[in-house]
Amino acid sequence: MTQEYVTQIADFITRYLSYMLGAGVHTSRVVRNSKRIGDALGVDVHIHTSQKTASLTVCEKGTSVMNTRIVDIPAFPISFEWNADLSALSWAAYDGKLSLEEINKRFEALVSKPRMNPVFVLFMASLANASFCRLFGGDIWAMLVTFTATLIGFFTRQHLTRKGVNHYIVFIISAFVASLCASTALSLGLKTAEIAIATSALYLVPGVPLINGVIDITDGHIQIGISRLVNALMLIVCIAIGMSATLMLVKDSLL
Amino acid sequence: MEAFWDSIAAYNAATWLWQSVSIVVAAVLTSILWFRPRTWVKIAVKVYMVVVSLWIALVYYMKFGAVREYSSVLAIFWCLVAVAWIYDLATRFSTFQKSGKYRPWGVVMLFLPLAYPLISLARGLSFPEMATPMLPSAVALYMLGMLMAFNRKINFFAFIFIVHWAVIAISKIVIFNIPEDILLAAACLPAMFIFFREAARAAGKGCKPPVKYVELLILAVVVVVGACMVLEYV
Repeated sequence: MTQEYVTQIADFITRYLSYMLGAGVHTSRVVRNSKRIGDALGVDVHIHTSQKTASLTVCEKGTSVMNTRIVDIPAFPISFEWNADLSALSWAAYDGKLSLEEINKRFEALVSKPRMNPVFVLFMASLANASFCRLFGGDIWAMLVTFTATLIGFFTRQHLTRKGVNHYIVFIISAFVASLCASTALSLGLKTAEIAIATSALYLVPGVPLINGVIDITDGHIQIGISRLVNALMLIVCIAIGMSATLMLVKDSLL
Repeated sequence: MEAFWDSIAAYNAATWLWQSVSIVVAAVLTSILWFRPRTWVKIAVKVYMVVVSLWIALVYYMKFGAVREYSSVLAIFWCLVAVAWIYDLATRFSTFQKSGKYRPWGVVMLFLPLAYPLISLARGLSFPEMATPMLPSAVALYMLGMLMAFNRKINFFAFIFIVHWAVIAISKIVIFNIPEDILLAAACLPAMFIFFREAARAAGKGCKPPVKYVELLILAVVVVVGACMVLEYV
């Protein structure tokens, strides 16, 4: 195995793991999959991950031919599809003894799949929140109000994210707008108006970072696990700030 | 319900002159925008939208509607509508250009706010305890009409705020016995389908699922919302 080939493998695995970490896959799965691809190609892979960067060393088995890389982790949207597809790719590489060229080709095909239509995501998130409202005991009007409040909040989030606004600020504004719109249900005297307010910001809850943080810590990746939990906690605090602003205006009648 | 209609009566009695001026200004600006569109008119219309939103927030809800519970919430909501138009003014996002599509529908919607007092009179109400074109739902309907008539590139923030207001208005039909708001609900549902469908098509190139499925989803949601309205009202 030449140094150039090891470098090519390092290039690919660097890209592979950055995409997986960026898409919100928990660390032990990323490490496992990367090592599996390394095994398929005849190299050992050693990885260190943190919240924003990862470093890896690719080393030919039994020799000292190696290559070390440090990579920034890009901020992709959470993607369960990439999670499943890229994991499956590592198994395909291992079981089918695929060449680096073939793995690279399949990887490119997987990450080039079309993205979700933002209007579709907007509607599905709003429907999900309206369903939560129903689960928590909301009536039909509370569900409708939650649906449209989420529509506004989620659209605000999409728009501000597209504009490159800091995501903590995006969370504060989105939570504020969604909960404030939901609080208009209070003016109708609905018995379940408070359920509408409570469920209108649920689409912001950072479930994936919270779960990944716990999984990472239990798997021994304590550093990145704590980073992810702190990040999730910050987002929850932002949601709380946004909703508190609404409650202070509405319930405490600050105006 | 009594407080609701009392506040409307007090509002109409005290502000009928200002309301008339506002309606004339809206009519003039809309006519100029329709027949001789100029940049200054587009800016003036957006400024008018800001002013009329703040009017609803501050005059209607904070001053005359203050006796009603949670009127401050609705005032803040209308301030957000004003913010949506200020944002549009600052970013020059919506162009107020006619696209040729849905124009007749837009024209009908522009005239619907004027039907509010007629429906009230037909129901046996009399001035000042009656609906006028300067009530929140009528103003929302005017904004929707403007978006529909000049829909090449619309202020989407203002639109979804109006959709939310339509849902609020639907429940008011039953709770406060104001059937005039059926106009807003009836106008909003097709507008919801049209604007979201256009947005899905614009974003749909290279996206999944295919646009036709997104359109079906939008249609299904609009139908369900409409069914909820009908069932609740009937």
